[in-house]
Amino acid sequence: MAVAQPVGVYEREELLTGCQAVAEGIRLANVDVIAAYPIRPYTEVMDAISKIIADGKLVAEYIVADSEHSQFEIVKHAASVGARAFAGSSGTGWMYGFEALVVTATDRLPVLFLVGNRALDDPGAFGVEHNDALAIRDMGWLLCWVATAQEALEHVLLGYRIAEDKQVRMPMALAMDGAFLTHSQHIVRIPSQEAVNRFLPPFDLGERRLHPDNPVSIAPQVNEDWVMEIRRQNWEAARRARRVIATAYEEFNQVFGQRYRPPYYFEEFLTDDAEVVLIGMGTVAMPARTAVRRLREQGHRVGYVNLRWFRPFPTEELRESLRRFRAVGVIDRDFAHGAPDDGGVLLHEVRSCLYPARERPAVVNFITGLGGRDVSIQDAIRMFEITQEAARKDRLDGFVTWVGVRE
Amino acid sequence: MIKRVEINYRGIFQKTLAKRIGGDIVMIAARMGQVGFSNGRYSDAPERNGIPCKYFAFVSPDLSEEELEAECGAKLDIDEANISVVLDDTMVKGVEPWAWHGVRPINEKVVPYGYMLIVSRRRPEELVRFMARKPYPYYLAILEGDASFAGLWVYRDDLTHERVLGALAALDPQLLSIEAVKGYLWDKTHEEHRVEAAQKAYESVRQNIHEVTPLQGIDWPYEIPKLPKWHEFSEGVVVKAVPREFHLGPKGQSRNQLFKRGTTKSQRPVVRFDLCTKCTLCWLECPDQCFDPTPDGYYDVDYEYCVGCGKCAEVCPVQECIVMVDELAFEDNRSPWEHWKRDPEGYIRWAEEKKGSHRVLPNVVTGTGQRVVEAEPVPVGGKPKPAARAGA
Repeated sequence: MAVAQPVGVYEREELLTGCQAVAEGIRLANVDVIAAYPIRPYTEVMDAISKIIADGKLVAEYIVADSEHSQFEIVKHAASVGARAFAGSSGTGWMYGFEALVVTATDRLPVLFLVGNRALDDPGAFGVEHNDALAIRDMGWLLCWVATAQEALEHVLLGYRIAEDKQVRMPMALAMDGAFLTHSQHIVRIPSQEAVNRFLPPFDLGERRLHPDNPVSIAPQVNEDWVMEIRRQNWEAARRARRVIATAYEEFNQVFGQRYRPPYYFEEFLTDDAEVVLIGMGTVAMPARTAVRRLREQGHRVGYVNLRWFRPFPTEELRESLRRFRAVGVIDRDFAHGAPDDGGVLLHEVRSCLYPARERPAVVNFITGLGGRDVSIQDAIRMFEITQEAARKDRLDGFVTWVGVRE
Repeated sequence: MIKRVEINYRGIFQKTLAKRIGGDIVMIAARMGQVGFSNGRYSDAPERNGIPCKYFAFVSPDLSEEELEAECGAKLDIDEANISVVLDDTMVKGVEPWAWHGVRPINEKVVPYGYMLIVSRRRPEELVRFMARKPYPYYLAILEGDASFAGLWVYRDDLTHERVLGALAALDPQLLSIEAVKGYLWDKTHEEHRVEAAQKAYESVRQNIHEVTPLQGIDWPYEIPKLPKWHEFSEGVVVKAVPREFHLGPKGQSRNQLFKRGTTKSQRPVVRFDLCTKCTLCWLECPDQCFDPTPDGYYDVDYEYCVGCGKCAEVCPVQECIVMVDELAFEDNRSPWEHWKRDPEGYIRWAEEKKGSHRVLPNVVTGTGQRVVEAEPVPVGGKPKPAARAGA
């Protein structure tokens, strides 16, 4: 990634976990209300924020709720009165607050949530799996994965910028792989407050803000007379969000140097002359990139696509990118039992997005890394080999392989 | 090139210590123009008191940060360690962090001509005799000192942190130079004694590095369990219980064969059966049900399962009847009651020799460190006396 930085934009470097980097982003975004309820791996964020507040570096309401459901309701209401709000959770905690997650989206309240991805119980497991965050994919949320601590901090700022945009006003879920990112310590460049203020305007809910001077009623019972029109509005906002996302990254680059390259929604690694690529979300990029380097040393034309934005799905941009290749291997760190092709969630999104393309690559699917299991470099090489085979034989299209399971 | 450092530590008691060492390796390496990052073995959490855990630091002088992360990130454990730090020497007897993992050798990951850096007051041969034989040579470096134990959220500032950094500089100046270590500590704290502690550890460890040959060590006695395939166990997350069995005598209670937890302990209880009043408190209070009732009314200890928590010694009402002793003083886990029955006087002499007169009372939860007191051992034929109670 290009790192040309204007002087004075970053003020210092610190060793931070992914969670602590998010907390720094919260401080810089000058968030007003934080609601907290512990569950690993999200918990470290609430710990870090409470320390920042205790140290006098942020003035905010910090409310420890009695459950995730209350936690999510608190920030929803805070946003409705115009407060910039933050909450987060993981795994089953996230699911426990699901009712509140749905209404936050239908009420179009731009709260930022961290989802420290964790396997859904049962059986008990703390490691990463993406099904928790993916569960909100149809609800009117923005949903984005980051792969490094630096990106995590920056996407808190980008997240508020995009979610609060008048064209959007949707809640934003910032997902990051539990353990591998939430709990790994990296040297992170901390932007200056002055630079952040140039990028991120204050939150202004305008005429929708609930206030004694501006009496409004939010989300009354409407039944069949109104629901469809409201859904239609929200559909429009979700569509507009794509354009706002690109604009936000452009503005970010103007302030912070060329941190991100178009098309922003995803990032390509050594794909220029590639015949075969893998696509995935989150830290699976790490073994996949190493596999790309090793295979290229042996003359294989392979590359990797790191999908950052899942909602809104970057349909056209991704189609334009992926149709260049002979085969695409989709990595799912999730499951979708009984789904078309019996593949994972991302497989169906990618295949559906490619359907209108005149020339389509073969698409194969890998279910891997569930419950926090390592995806090794060897696993990634095997995924490339199967995808290369799919490029040679059409009949493998849609084929699903479980990688790293004890067979 | 990538340098991988693993830090083996005792869960909870050394958690903060290990994390600080890992983080500072990265910060100091960065001062030297290298890139790095640090993380823990996530499956160790939530940690139990004393259980063997790991923290890692990864450093490269020539790769980009992104390349280093791609090679080393998003992994649960490492495949190999250039340096394996051991913050408590009793872990040389093996480490079993969780069920179905088996008791693994502490030197499992060390590479040929890599380093084991062990905090210990023991001589090299006293440590190597417990460690697995490797097919290749490696080095054992000893940083003289006691295991630094604190508690959850507590950091015991006894300079172990600074000393380990100095010791690492002695082993691999390319990883961390002693100048960089000292410069970092000074800039961070402006405290001369921290810099000095690192320097002294650097000097002493340079004189305390020993090659371990493929002839040294033991054939590892523990098997690594084989995890079942996806179609080999019950659907619906149903796990069969260990069948409940009981008979009087050693190992008379059925216990979980796939998680023994004995490697959790740094001390073990030594029992003077001749002083025992059969009050039942050790058996009743043991949180891990390690005491087996014997036909003659005593309570044998199953050391394979004892985690060394010290509860039995704490509740025992008889002076010198149950005493916690450094785990490295013992060769095996055989039944102490059988030993005593076979040779009552020999057992008592053996027990007293192991106990010595120092009594190390760890006070780990408060982080104030361990207390050492002198004891008055009860001779053979001595009568039970009420135990003195600290603070009572």
